[in-house]
Amino acid sequence: MTTSSRPAYPAGTVITGKWHNNRFVIRRVLGQGGNGIVYLVHKAGYRNLYALKMGYDTLDLQSEINVLTSLQSQSRHQDGLKGSFKTPFLLEVDDFTGMGKEVPFYVMRYIEGNPIHHFIRRRGEEWVGITGLRLLEKLTGLHRLGFIFGDLKPDNVMVSDYGQVELIDYGGVSKIGRSVKQFTEWYDRGYWNAGSRSSDEAYDLFAFAVLMIQLLNEEGLKAACAQLLPQTRNCSELLNLIGRSPRLKPYAPWLRKAVQGEFPGSREALAAWKQQIYAPAISGRAPGKTPRWLINTFAFSVIMLGAAVYFVFFK
Amino acid sequence: MKQILLITDGCSNVGASPVMAAAHALQEGITVNVAGVIDYGTIGELGSLEITEIAKAGGGVSHIVGTRQLAQTMQMMTRKTVVQTIQQAVNKELKTILGDGSLEELPPQQRSQVVQVVDELTETTPLQVALLIDASASMKPKLAAVEDAIRDLMLSLQAREGRSELAVFHFPGRNSTEDAVMDTDWIQDLGGVRNLFQRIQMKGATPTGPAILKVIDFFRYGTLDGQTWRGNDGEGEGMLGDYVV
Repeated sequence: MTTSSRPAYPAGTVITGKWHNNRFVIRRVLGQGGNGIVYLVHKAGYRNLYALKMGYDTLDLQSEINVLTSLQSQSRHQDGLKGSFKTPFLLEVDDFTGMGKEVPFYVMRYIEGNPIHHFIRRRGEEWVGITGLRLLEKLTGLHRLGFIFGDLKPDNVMVSDYGQVELIDYGGVSKIGRSVKQFTEWYDRGYWNAGSRSSDEAYDLFAFAVLMIQLLNEEGLKAACAQLLPQTRNCSELLNLIGRSPRLKPYAPWLRKAVQGEFPGSREALAAWKQQIYAPAISGRAPGKTPRWLINTFAFSVIMLGAAVYFVFFK
Repeated sequence: MKQILLITDGCSNVGASPVMAAAHALQEGITVNVAGVIDYGTIGELGSLEITEIAKAGGGVSHIVGTRQLAQTMQMMTRKTVVQTIQQAVNKELKTILGDGSLEELPPQQRSQVVQVVDELTETTPLQVALLIDASASMKPKLAAVEDAIRDLMLSLQAREGRSELAVFHFPGRNSTEDAVMDTDWIQDLGGVRNLFQRIQMKGATPTGPAILKVIDFFRYGTLDGQTWRGNDGEGEGMLGDYVV
């Protein structure tokens, strides 16, 4: 798509807003989304860090800002909602003149952390359960406000050093019932011929499932994508992968339901995820079958005892 | 809203200029987008110039992509064009209200309201996209990818709230008098269509211009004639056959 490299502003550039006259100093580039480039900045004269997103297109960026504003005002009315947007997310909206052109931008809270796939690679797979849970909480919060995230992929999920999860890049957020604005092949339900591209809660849950599969078995997912022709690509390939991979086993029942769109909503999915990740500790394999080798060794030791007793008393 | 999406890999070489044909389309209120498909080698300088010019004359956008990105590019171009067309209309309205005010000059608060309207219309405006496929000999290895991209586009269009329809044409036709052939009439679902391009005979000639004019006629017929063109299988093609420019 049109994410060809665009010239980024160097560190130290001062961005002066046209409408509010606030000045922000660029520190470095944080990343690039579908709608624009995100910079790490501080307000001139202050130390606090913010993220500043410069849009490629006024209309697209404004559309994203509208979503953020509406999320913020709605979440204010719904108190005590887990995974909602407690601190003000959107701080300022303005334009500035750069390289002879009006460039729209907005300033938001800076979220420190690493994309989820880097986090899991570094910290280990046992973190999948809890980070997955927190991500699902975020998605459920968004769904309750009447939106879906849409473009869910590892790059858009930030995890702090202590496993706190935040969604970044709201460019793909779409109203429930509308068409999905932005998506990425692998995580797109339509790409897998597994359903429509309309915004419903199950769309995010499907993307979440693919994301989890990627975190636990990226090679398998890559192979599945490479082999298949678009006409034959379908979610049974994902289901096979879930069944085959031992690392996906603990999550298999949940993933199957999400891939097939069987959860009535994200709240049920969240509850099921919780149950699943906390189940092994309680009802794991403990009362299950005694391993074969133990039975054999026990039988052997009984025979030895019998032999020893025989030799001692009867010989 | 009406669009033509031309998918080609090079230069036209027969008949009327495609750039002029695209200008006619724009005049009729039909935006023309062009996807230039490359895979083996490159589109020559002349080819890529023609692609840009067709889109410019047709008020649309053009992109040159490999077959792998084709599906996403087509989806993006179609959506972008809908947004642009609506934005142009809204900007026109704004000028009459505010004297001199494009979207960029509005303060953020008002801009937000305008964009809300644009977003709403983007999602709900009825949309017709006529896909015009260059099926000259050099396109043959790419047709499977083109068909997948078309199916993918249909999926995106189906998700819209507004009524969305696709029709598919290819060119050249079976003989020199046939500039374009209809593969499917306006439809909202490709699920029942097994094989889009079963009647294709690859030929060397590339009459891009005449083919665009044909598709304009198809749009015109649909809007002129009171009775709709939907549901009458076969009739549409016959119409196309003897409707000579």
